[in-house]
Amino acid sequence: MKAARWVPALAALLLAPAASPFAGDQACAGCHREVAAHFRATPMAQALESVSRCDILSRHATLSFQEGPYKSLLTREGDRTLLTVTDGHDTISAPLLWAFGRGQAGQTYVFERNGILYESRVSFYNALGALDLTMGAQAIKPADLDTAAGRRMDSVGARDCFGCHSTGAVTAGRLHLETITPGVGCESCHGPTAQHLAGVRAGDPKSAALPKLASLGAEETSELCGRCHRTWSQIALSGPRGVNNVRFQPYRLANSRCYDTTDARIRCTACHDPHGPLETNVTSYDSKCAACHSAAAHTRVCPVAKTNCVTCHMPKFELPGAHARFTDHQIRIARPNDPYPN
Amino acid sequence: MRANPHTMALFLIAGMAGAAWAQQNSPAEALLRHAIQLHQSGDTEAAISEYRAYLKQAPNNVMARSNLGAALSRSGHYEEAIVEYKQALALDPGNVPVRLNLGLAYYKTADLSSAAEQLAAAVKHQPSNRQAIFLLADCHLRLGENKKVIELLSPLEKDSPNDKALIYLLGTALIRDNQLARGQPLVDRILREGDSAEARLLLGTTKMNAQEFAEGLVDLKKAVDLNPQLPDVFSYYGLALLATGDTAAAANAFHKELESNPNDFVANLQSGVLLKQDQKYDEARQSFARALRVRPGDPGVRYQLATLDVMEGNLAQACSQLEQLTTESPGFVEAHVSLATVYYRLQRKADGDKERAVVLKLNAEKQAHEPGAKP
Repeated sequence: MKAARWVPALAALLLAPAASPFAGDQACAGCHREVAAHFRATPMAQALESVSRCDILSRHATLSFQEGPYKSLLTREGDRTLLTVTDGHDTISAPLLWAFGRGQAGQTYVFERNGILYESRVSFYNALGALDLTMGAQAIKPADLDTAAGRRMDSVGARDCFGCHSTGAVTAGRLHLETITPGVGCESCHGPTAQHLAGVRAGDPKSAALPKLASLGAEETSELCGRCHRTWSQIALSGPRGVNNVRFQPYRLANSRCYDTTDARIRCTACHDPHGPLETNVTSYDSKCAACHSAAAHTRVCPVAKTNCVTCHMPKFELPGAHARFTDHQIRIARPNDPYPN
Repeated sequence: MRANPHTMALFLIAGMAGAAWAQQNSPAEALLRHAIQLHQSGDTEAAISEYRAYLKQAPNNVMARSNLGAALSRSGHYEEAIVEYKQALALDPGNVPVRLNLGLAYYKTADLSSAAEQLAAAVKHQPSNRQAIFLLADCHLRLGENKKVIELLSPLEKDSPNDKALIYLLGTALIRDNQLARGQPLVDRILREGDSAEARLLLGTTKMNAQEFAEGLVDLKKAVDLNPQLPDVFSYYGLALLATGDTAAAANAFHKELESNPNDFVANLQSGVLLKQDQKYDEARQSFARALRVRPGDPGVRYQLATLDVMEGNLAQACSQLEQLTTESPGFVEAHVSLATVYYRLQRKADGDKERAVVLKLNAEKQAHEPGAKP
C-alpha cells in the first residue's frame, strides 16, 4: 500500500504548526471519547507535568547529587519542590516549575531565575531511582553555582522543548507559557482544531476537514513524528553521531535498507499505535515484518526464525548517560560484534 | 585602523581639482573654475549643478566628469557617482585616480566585488599606493576572501613591522583563515601595544576558531566595551553569544552591528537565520538579500534562502537552487540533506534516495577524518 501523494493539508501542518487557535483535548473527547481516553493514558500525553502534580517528586521527598564541590538537593515542601545547589560556601535555590518526561527512562526539570528558564543539571533516572547528570551535561564542567544548577535555555531551545512536551504553547514560532497544556495532546499531531470544531458545529464538512494522517506514507509520517523524535534531516545535519542517535527513531528507521519513503508498511504508525501505550510484547511486531517478508509474497524471509524478529533485527543499545536501553530502529541483519552502524 | 575611504576621497578630489586651475579662460572654462571653487569651499550641491552645466558643453572632459563623480560621492549619491566615473574611465581607461574613486564609490554602496575589481586594477598600476592596498584588503576581508588579503599584505609585512593597519588586517585574515601559527604573533604584537578593542577582537576570534566559545565571549565582550564602533566587533560578539546559547543577546548584537554598518555580511546572515527560526520569513529574506548583496553568490546565503523556500512550500524554487548548489559544491552536506527532503516532497523518490546516499557517504568520510577516528 503506497501513499498516493504528498498531502497538501499535511504540508501546511508541517510548515506552519500551531498557526490557528487550539481547542484542547476535552473538546476532541466530545466526539472522539474512546480514542481520547485511550491516548490520555500514554506516556506521551504525560510528557510534561507541573511540579505540583509530579508523581516522582511527590514520592521522593528528598533527592541529592554530589558533583565535585557542588551538591544539588531537591526538597519537597507540600506541592513545591525546591532545587538547592551549594559549594559549601554559597548556596542558590529556586523552585522547580516543570517536570519533563514520565520517568520511564528519566525526568528533567526546568526552573526560572531572574526571568530566565534553566534546564536542571541533574535528572531523575528510573533505573537508579536517584539523580544523575542530565543527558548532555557530562560534557560541560560547571564553572560556578549557576552552571552547577542548570543550563540556561535560549528562546529557541525553550520553544522546542516545550513545543514537543506540551500542546498549544507555541504560536507563530514563539513560546507562550500562559497558553500551555502540559503533555502531547490531540492537536500536537492533528493541528489546531478550533476551525474543525466550528465546521462540525456548522455542519460544514469543508471547514471541518482535518489532515488525513492515516493516509500518509513513510516519509511523511517520519517528518510528522520527527518534529519531536527528530527527522532524518536533522540528525544527518547536526548529529549526534554514533550510539547517541539511537533514540532518534525516524533517523534510524530511514537508514534501514528496507525503508521506502512512499511505502506505508514501513511508516512509524505501521508498528506503533499513536493513540496507545508502547507495545512491549516483541511477538506482536512479527506481523508487521511479515507484511513485507513472506514466502507468499516471494520476498526475502528470515532463515533463522519465524518469530520475535525485532529481538535480532532491531537490537537494543544502552544510551550513554541515559541509564536506559533503546531499540535501534535501523532494521538490519545485526551480527554479533558488528559496530553500531551510523 | 581601517583604511579611511572618506580621507582617500578628499585626497583624490584635491589632486584633480588642482589640475583644473590650469585650464583656459573661455566662458565654459569659467563655469568649470567656478564649479571647482564651489567644490573646494564645501558647497557640494552647487558644485554638482555647475559641473553638470559645464559637462553639457564639454561632455568629454574627463577631469570635470571625475570631479562631478567626486562631488556626488561626497554628498552620498554613490550610484550617480559610479555612472560619472564609468563615463570618465570610458574616455580615459588608464586614469588610475578615477578608477580608485570608482572603487571607493562601489565600496560605499557595499558592492564589494566591483570595488575589489576596480581597486585591484588600480593597485596593479600603483603598487605602492598603500591606501588603495588597504582598502582592497578590507574589501577582500569583508568578502571572506582571507587568502587574497594574506597574499596582498604579506609582502608589505617585512618593511612595515609597526604599521598597525597592516598588522590588524593581515592578522585578522590569518586568524579567520585558521593560520594560527602565523596569525598569533601578529595578535601578540598588537597586544604589546596595550589592551585595545582590536586586540580583543582578534583574540576572541582566535578562541572562537578553536571552539573555546566561553573564553572567546569574554574577549569579545571586552572588545565591545573598549570600542563599540570597531567594525565587525558586534558581529563576532553576536557569534560568541550564539555559540554560548544566548540567542536573544546575539540578536541584539547583530542588530547593533547593522546600526553602524547595514551591509555587514555576518550580521545580516545571522540575523536572517534567527528571524527564520522565529518564523519571520519575510524579514529573514530581506536580511539574506542584504547579505547576498555584500557577497554575491555566497553559497551559505543561497542555502538559507532555499531553506526558506522549503519552509514556505516553494518547492520547485528550492529544488532548483539546491540542485545548483550541490552541483557547484558537491561536498555541501546541508544542501544535499535539504535537496533529499525536497525531492521526497516532490514525489521524486529515486532522486531523494540518491541524495540521502550522498549525505551518508559524505558524513562517513567526514567522520573518518575526525580526531579519534580509526586509521
